[in-house]
Amino acid sequence: MELFVQAAVNGLQMGFLYALLAVGLTIIWGLMEMINFAHGEFLMLGMFGAWWLSTTFRIDPLLAIVPLGLVMYGLGVLIYEQLMRRVQLGDPFTQIFATVGLLFLIQNSAVAVFTSDYRFVNDTLLTRLSGAKLQILGITVGVPLLIGALVALVLFLLLYLLIDRTEFGLALQATSEDREAAMLVGIRPQRMFAVAWGLGAALVAVAGAILANFFAVYPQVGLQFTVLAYAIVALGGFGSILGTLLAALLVGVVQSVTVVYLPPAFKDAFVFASYLLIGLFRPQGLFGRF
Amino acid sequence: MRRVSVRAVVITALLVLGALAVYRAVPAADVQEVLIGDVLPLTGNFASLGQQYLWAAQTVEDIINTDYADLQIPLGPGQGFPGLGGAKAKFIIRDDQSRGDQARTIAEQLITVNKVHWLNGEGTSGNTSIIQPVAESYGIPMACHPCASPTLTEKGLKWFWRTGPNDRTMVASVFSFLKEWREHGGPTDLKTIALFTCDNLFCQDNRKIAAELAPKAGFQVVLDLTTKTGATTLASEVQRLQAANPDVLFLVQYTAETTVFQGDAKRAGWAPKVIATSNGAYSDETWLQAQKKTNGGAGWVGRDPTAIDLVHDRPSWKKVNEIYKKYSRGQNMGELAMREITGLLWMADVINRARSVEPAALAKAANDTNMSPEQLIIDYKGIKFDKTQQNELATGVVTQIGWDGEKHTVWPWDMGRRANFKMVYPNPGWQERDAKPKPAS
Repeated sequence: MELFVQAAVNGLQMGFLYALLAVGLTIIWGLMEMINFAHGEFLMLGMFGAWWLSTTFRIDPLLAIVPLGLVMYGLGVLIYEQLMRRVQLGDPFTQIFATVGLLFLIQNSAVAVFTSDYRFVNDTLLTRLSGAKLQILGITVGVPLLIGALVALVLFLLLYLLIDRTEFGLALQATSEDREAAMLVGIRPQRMFAVAWGLGAALVAVAGAILANFFAVYPQVGLQFTVLAYAIVALGGFGSILGTLLAALLVGVVQSVTVVYLPPAFKDAFVFASYLLIGLFRPQGLFGRF
Repeated sequence: MRRVSVRAVVITALLVLGALAVYRAVPAADVQEVLIGDVLPLTGNFASLGQQYLWAAQTVEDIINTDYADLQIPLGPGQGFPGLGGAKAKFIIRDDQSRGDQARTIAEQLITVNKVHWLNGEGTSGNTSIIQPVAESYGIPMACHPCASPTLTEKGLKWFWRTGPNDRTMVASVFSFLKEWREHGGPTDLKTIALFTCDNLFCQDNRKIAAELAPKAGFQVVLDLTTKTGATTLASEVQRLQAANPDVLFLVQYTAETTVFQGDAKRAGWAPKVIATSNGAYSDETWLQAQKKTNGGAGWVGRDPTAIDLVHDRPSWKKVNEIYKKYSRGQNMGELAMREITGLLWMADVINRARSVEPAALAKAANDTNMSPEQLIIDYKGIKFDKTQQNELATGVVTQIGWDGEKHTVWPWDMGRRANFKMVYPNPGWQERDAKPKPAS
């Protein structure tokens, strides 16, 4: 039982980080219904940005999330304005090809600039705390991951308030639901799409800055997280911020608990099996709407 | 009519044979450039390995084509291949994006379009096994020196050679060390072992060999865990390892997963008495450098194809390393690069001795190889091929990362004595690692 609880707690901590990395995709894919296969590359850029700011200017990744978020917001808007706005006019398949192209462009540019070496963030608040842990009722909670999870949770809640409780958020949702109707009430859809891309890129880059404290940084790091992010968004329900959070926690726990009892090969198989299972009863995902 | 047809067939056959003969038997004097196709994973999952192989190829091309009069290794002094009238070497390097299907297509292009005389690559055992049939079907000599999967040379292929040790040799080194350690002043209470490996061909070959050798070395396997390459968390795997409580952890994981494992093991506060590894992160220069900032690798034991701390004394190693650093942005040769350079220099020697780029002549020269240790930059006992075209003189050594962040040779015992290193035992706990000064800080 203790093994199970410990695994569940470990999974929950990872789940909060997964939530932050998936929520950008929730906005772009789930809410605005645009496909973005380069999502993991934004994460990779965030990780490289955190590594670069940390090693060059000694800016802690937890502080670097502000400049990185702003820069990546700008990049997201730029990509929408210069590429996706045109692509959006065509067949949905065009979005797949365009963003897969973007994936390779960003990844290979990172190889050219940074080389394929593995980079490691050292001497940051979270790496200095590595090894620090809390013991609660016999359950060990690693302090760095707990801080990372809490930062992710705070950012997540702020985003939830922005999307669900502000006029801007309502405008964003209105655009996703009925673009023509939104235009009739004075909302400019193109602006909303640009903001969605900016927010999506910024959020996943912020997640990258936090994750850089725990993972090696290299140009191909994004792919393993992209697959998880897609599963989380689909599981949580397209466009549902709260659903993304719960799905991410579920994925974290399923991944973690599965391995305690079964060979690790089942880890991701069970994540996707949970999606299939929920899909049978709620094809729109946990909190999605048709 | 019948007579004409027979004549036509005979003439056509002669023409085809003649054309083939002209294509194959290129006279030595006519060779201006020796073309070496190099299929490498320069992008994708294995890009960090491919990058080292690229630098190795650039280094060897430089050594062959430039006169390094004081460099006493094959093709060091003089320019080009003397056996081919001074023809230069030209490496045609192609990126396969770490994908087997892409590697196969590129290998075919290099052979049929670029007309390369030798094929090198791919650097990873899995993708190499995919392109081996291509070289075999076209009858072009091929080699992969850092590839360690034993299966690569156990298929009865005619056109594939490997100068580097295979996993069987190297994993055997680790288990020989663990077995003999007891009689050489090491701990006598190491009884159990857990195997913790990734899921690709390389890791699984290591796992199978370890599972076979562990009982023979006196260990009970208490857990055998295989994980997916690209894991985002290994916390539960660490929990299971912790619960199994092995004395020795045999870990074969790549750099990214090793980093995840270290983080999760540290969070769990778990450190077995011995961490023994086999390649993967342990061979990655960037991982080794990163450990100097955290003491994370101190005490880890692993296999290497060469005594990297002793090899520095060799003048030829120093010179080759200087050349390598011109291409590697100042990075020293890691053991992977050393294996690749050793293999490529052997290839150059073969081409030179063959005095031809005709495949049959190259194959004969390759099989006639008998190189002494003095001709190498690495600690093999020489290069000589067995009937499977595996270098039977390729050996493994066992090293340990010290508190200085460097690898020190500990086995074979005579080399260990020369290295004069006091082993770190038991594998330090995380608090001790944090408390000790860091070599790079």
